[in-house]
Amino acid sequence: MMDEEAARRLVYGAIDIVNRQLPAAKRLQKAPETIIVGEGGALDSLGVVNFVIAVEEEFADATGAAVQLLAENMLGDGSPFRTVGSLARYIAARPA
Amino acid sequence: MATAPDRLYFVADFNIEPLARELANTTRPGLETAIAPAGPVMAALAAGPPAADWSAVVWTRPEAISEAFARARAFERIDHDQAIDDVKAYAAAIGRFAARARSVFVPAWVQPPFARGWGMLDHRPGIGAADLLARMNVALADALVGAPSVFVLDAGRWLASAGARGWSQKLWYAAKCPFGPAVIELAAADIAAALDGVGGRARRLVILDLDDVLWGGLVGEAGWSALTLGGHDHVGEAFADFQRALKALTARGVQLAIVSKNDEAAALEAIDRHPEMLLRRGDFAAWRINWDDKAQNVANVLAEVNLGAESAVFIDDSEAERARVRDAVPGILVPDWPSDPARFREALESLRCFDAPVQTAEDRARAGMIADERSRRTALAAADNLDDWLRSLEIAITVEALAPANLDRAAQLFNKTNQMNASTRRLSAGELEAWAAAPAHCLLTFRVRDRFGDYGLTGIVGLELAGSRARLSDFLLSCRVMGRRVEDAMLHVAAAHARARQASTLVVEVVPTARNKPCLDFFLGSGLRETRHHVFEWDLSQPYARPDFVAVADHARVAASSDP
Repeated sequence: MMDEEAARRLVYGAIDIVNRQLPAAKRLQKAPETIIVGEGGALDSLGVVNFVIAVEEEFADATGAAVQLLAENMLGDGSPFRTVGSLARYIAARPA
Repeated sequence: MATAPDRLYFVADFNIEPLARELANTTRPGLETAIAPAGPVMAALAAGPPAADWSAVVWTRPEAISEAFARARAFERIDHDQAIDDVKAYAAAIGRFAARARSVFVPAWVQPPFARGWGMLDHRPGIGAADLLARMNVALADALVGAPSVFVLDAGRWLASAGARGWSQKLWYAAKCPFGPAVIELAAADIAAALDGVGGRARRLVILDLDDVLWGGLVGEAGWSALTLGGHDHVGEAFADFQRALKALTARGVQLAIVSKNDEAAALEAIDRHPEMLLRRGDFAAWRINWDDKAQNVANVLAEVNLGAESAVFIDDSEAERARVRDAVPGILVPDWPSDPARFREALESLRCFDAPVQTAEDRARAGMIADERSRRTALAAADNLDDWLRSLEIAITVEALAPANLDRAAQLFNKTNQMNASTRRLSAGELEAWAAAPAHCLLTFRVRDRFGDYGLTGIVGLELAGSRARLSDFLLSCRVMGRRVEDAMLHVAAAHARARQASTLVVEVVPTARNKPCLDFFLGSGLRETRHHVFEWDLSQPYARPDFVAVADHARVAASSDP
């Protein structure tokens, strides 16, 4: 298990990666309330794919374990990807 | 015409959007980008770029260009010549596309790092895909030799540098782009550097600190014999290797200079006498070795070698000195510098700012020209006045029309000359050649030498005839020759050519830029009449006088010329 603070840092690492491809005004803020997926989110479909794969890779780097997050049921209603905070909690709750 | 903004068009057989976004949002904010409509690459190449002032990236996977290669990767036995024929057809399409673009960048083909192919047989000719891909990349580069505005970029280095995350099958399946963010970032950086090079923004001067940069230790305190440099010591070897890399850089046409807070006599003694020094006094175009403010010393060096801060890189081991120069000398590149000498060479060779689109004889000879220039300055210091010095130089100019032999150098000069440049018009080699071929156009090149040495091709005049008026569309001269009355001789030749073509008035407009005030000052003092703001005219009923101490051999002169 990873603590929530470590999981949040991991998500911030993925934000650094996807922000390079976003205009300055649309960049994701490194804050728990930042919306990632769904209404109010700044990422288009390509941005979401890049972000989710970046999170997977950051997770693998941090834990040495693989995780598969890119799935339809992960991105719909109630998705853990809704905000940075919800994603950090979801990652922290996963067994490494 | 001012420097045109960069516009970049993308043609690819995969989702190239991440690269376009990286360039436009991070690497080169504000860059205008467009992506070819989805469809076959050959169709996009046939359609051409949006306009002739666009550059382009054409990036494909080898299996998309050659079905034969795809079959080779599937371990089928194929005729490898078929793959090479596919490459030639692709290169021909790129060549036709490039004729309608400013510049075209083509990343070399790569395979996924996990593709082991035949293993130990994969580099065996006629069998392995690795061997075939290497041949395809060579064939591509060979086929594009005749297209000077096309540049094949080393995508293999991007993949190797990016490591395990460089290639992502998951990204390919989910987003149809196989390259991970690290490769995209490296590709964007190299493409931005290439745009800078094509736009004449490559840097040409490295200004170096001495202690703990060129050698280990403090020469002013310990003396040259106590310095760490070369020998059987890994730190000494690192400093020597860094000097070797700097020396190699001069072969690319980059000059070196020194700015160091030090005792000048002690430092120069080290440079002259230390047996392991690879850089000697003759390798440096200028130096300021004293205890003054480094930013001021950098400015003085730039003035001495006649280059702007945008042409220079400053390397210093002190973070405080780097910050001082970065703040006080706008435009200069001050890279973060590692503290470990073992990383100096890597830090230098990683810099992209020296990438230029051509390598000319003038570039290769520049290191030798440094000693010539120092001899000139010594003569100037000994002369009673500037006029005597200029007369003593025995300046001789050779004028030639634009030709294949001087096209690359002319295009280089077009794209990097800032100070003595009336229009700052930037044209690629192809665009320049096409412009000069028009019947009403005349493009003259000027080679300059004096008794100290040969400056090479350093001046260009473009003339555009319209009835009785001859417009000086281009008037540019390398900063290395500025202020030696070569400008007057060029104007003399331009006026003679315009007269020979029955023009009665020579017109030139100086389009102001941040850098070309020397050009405006020249025309303000040239004797031409300023008829409108920054527009100057010369009545061609009179020849424009040539400085009597400048000899001119005009091999481009038309027979009808009547000027002396």
